[in-house]
Amino acid sequence: MRGRLRGNATRGNYVAYGEFGLQALEPKWLTARQIEAGRIAAQHFLRRQGKIYIRVFPDKPVSKKPLETRMGKGKAEVDYWAARVKPGTMLFEIAGVNEDMAKQAFSRIAMKMPVKCRFVGRRLSV
Amino acid sequence: MSKDTPTLAASTRERTGSRYARRLRAAGQLPAVLYGHGMDPISIAINETEIIRHLTEGAHVFELDIEGRKETCLVKDLQFGWLGDNVVHIDMTKVDLDEIVTVNVKLVFKGTPKGASLVGAVLNQDLSELEVSCKVRDIPEEVIVQMDEMEESFNVGELELPTEIKAVAPPETVVCHIVFKAEEEEEESGAEDGAEGAEPTAEGGGDGKPDGSEG
Repeated sequence: MRGRLRGNATRGNYVAYGEFGLQALEPKWLTARQIEAGRIAAQHFLRRQGKIYIRVFPDKPVSKKPLETRMGKGKAEVDYWAARVKPGTMLFEIAGVNEDMAKQAFSRIAMKMPVKCRFVGRRLSV
Repeated sequence: MSKDTPTLAASTRERTGSRYARRLRAAGQLPAVLYGHGMDPISIAINETEIIRHLTEGAHVFELDIEGRKETCLVKDLQFGWLGDNVVHIDMTKVDLDEIVTVNVKLVFKGTPKGASLVGAVLNQDLSELEVSCKVRDIPEEVIVQMDEMEESFNVGELELPTEIKAVAPPETVVCHIVFKAEEEEEESGAEDGAEGAEPTAEGGGDGKPDGSEG
């Protein structure tokens, strides 16, 4: 990750679609591969139960110069795509399963994530 | 209001601002503001544990005892802290019990639809709360969605609401519906295979890099 991701998430920081969510507690660029690994881990565990919502999208292209290449000659090709994650960002949500199942699924996703995460439910509303 | 209006003791805040609000929160109080009906806004402090307990139970209307002065108030807005779930401030508005207001009421899903027991069927809850318009004294704590007779989807028009409560959303708005997972999996299986297939290629590329650097 180049530079620093300052501040906390002020949008997308609460459970909006499902009943439970997995919230990031650290800033990081989350790669498309990491998001996909999390999705597969949860889907394999839930197997035909519930619905998984992915709340982050890797819309940031990250370029990388090939090895043993001299500096210059323009910007390098895109190496991977990443999502900018700030503390508080809701990464995944699950609907249609009980709390215990959701916790187990999220613990499997959290193992694939490069950031510390926590399990959350829906917040109060009026 | 199916239960009695909860009464809460509140004190006026003489000093306002983030520094004093933070001190209040540390002392177990929650900063709030009361306004409405042409009155000047009053900054107040309420016991955090009590009000959060009532809000969790679905209460919307409170009887506030502000140093001897009693006011009927409706919770208008909540402000949340940095992780988006801890309440840090409450907006309350003064109301009459016969005033018509619009509030969000929690939906409680009961029963199991026949279709949901089929293999691959998943019940999707599209709404978790319903916006209703009614008199302050009639605000329900929750609206029950009885899903026993549900077939494929349940609409707002099918909700059994008391006559004095009206749903703001159009009757055709979907509250919950059944999705068959088998259809979804077919679509996703292609993408999944692609992702799994991509991993060995990447590892192969990774193996190639050190060789190149050594040579």
